[in-house]
Amino acid sequence: MNKVIILIFLLINVTDFESKPDQFIARQGQVSFFSYTSVENIEAKNDQVLSIIDLSKNEIAISMLMNAFKFKKSLMHEHFNESYIESDLYPKATFEGKIKDFDILTDGTQTRMIEGELTIHGITKEVEIKTTIENIDGRYLFTGDFEVAVKDFDIKIPPILVPNIAKIISITFRFEYQPYEK
Amino acid sequence: MNNRNKIIFFFFSTVLVIGGYAYFEFNKRPYKDIETMYTDTFINSSELISLFMLNENSANSVYRNKVIEVEGIVKEVTFLNNRNTVLLQGSSTYSSVLCDMKDDQVEEIEKLRKGQKVKIKGVCKGFLKDVILLHCLLINTPINE
Repeated sequence: MNKVIILIFLLINVTDFESKPDQFIARQGQVSFFSYTSVENIEAKNDQVLSIIDLSKNEIAISMLMNAFKFKKSLMHEHFNESYIESDLYPKATFEGKIKDFDILTDGTQTRMIEGELTIHGITKEVEIKTTIENIDGRYLFTGDFEVAVKDFDIKIPPILVPNIAKIISITFRFEYQPYEK
Repeated sequence: MNNRNKIIFFFFSTVLVIGGYAYFEFNKRPYKDIETMYTDTFINSSELISLFMLNENSANSVYRNKVIEVEGIVKEVTFLNNRNTVLLQGSSTYSSVLCDMKDDQVEEIEKLRKGQKVKIKGVCKGFLKDVILLHCLLINTPINE
């Protein structure tokens, strides 16, 4: 957790001598997750995900509040926060990584792999995420999806609810970045 | 009605009532009625941001998951990703209070202007770079001058 805070501060404080901004921010990034089983479908969305990218170093940092996910039913929200994710103990999920082979000069769309550490429920895993990067008039749009296994993050599901929750959760994301003005 | 029928009748009506209640509980939509929810704390936006910046943990223990009313000056209104968001100024430009408004607030939000003083009620979720409030409502919208 501290590493992410340090990283974000570093990204923010690095002085910028060039005319073209290196740092871009998305304060209202979207992250959704889906769990499909024959018993029920669960989906939730977080519209207030923070992300900062530094294109001079090809670095990306993401931080989100787990209790800001919105569900269709309040009981799902309650179970998610109190029993599974334990958002009192682990309020944030974070990701920090590097965009591989990113070419700042490419206009339009490029698909790149982002490699880094994903921390959910206090557990950190190395992940590699395929991301579509669009450059629209000097702004950036990152979109993509990936999957995580519930068991990788030490999330305990009571036996009675096992059929209701998928073993593999799909996650989609969409970040619209703007030049970061200090 | 003899006794046996009475018992059966009571049994079934109890099951029906419990079932109905359970169905209602399971399908409850979150924060449908924030209007009627009791406000835990009143605070202004700069103060709220300062508290989170100074000590996130202690601010979390006071404000996290609480219904709060925040008074502040509109810094920006955005409609990104089909969400209606009002940002309230803090004492520095670094942070603000990010209020995710309820869908029925669109009309009032469209009338808001930068620099206007407003009061917003919502559920505080915590702090990233901004303090995040969800399910927000404008209260006492001042009449346009």
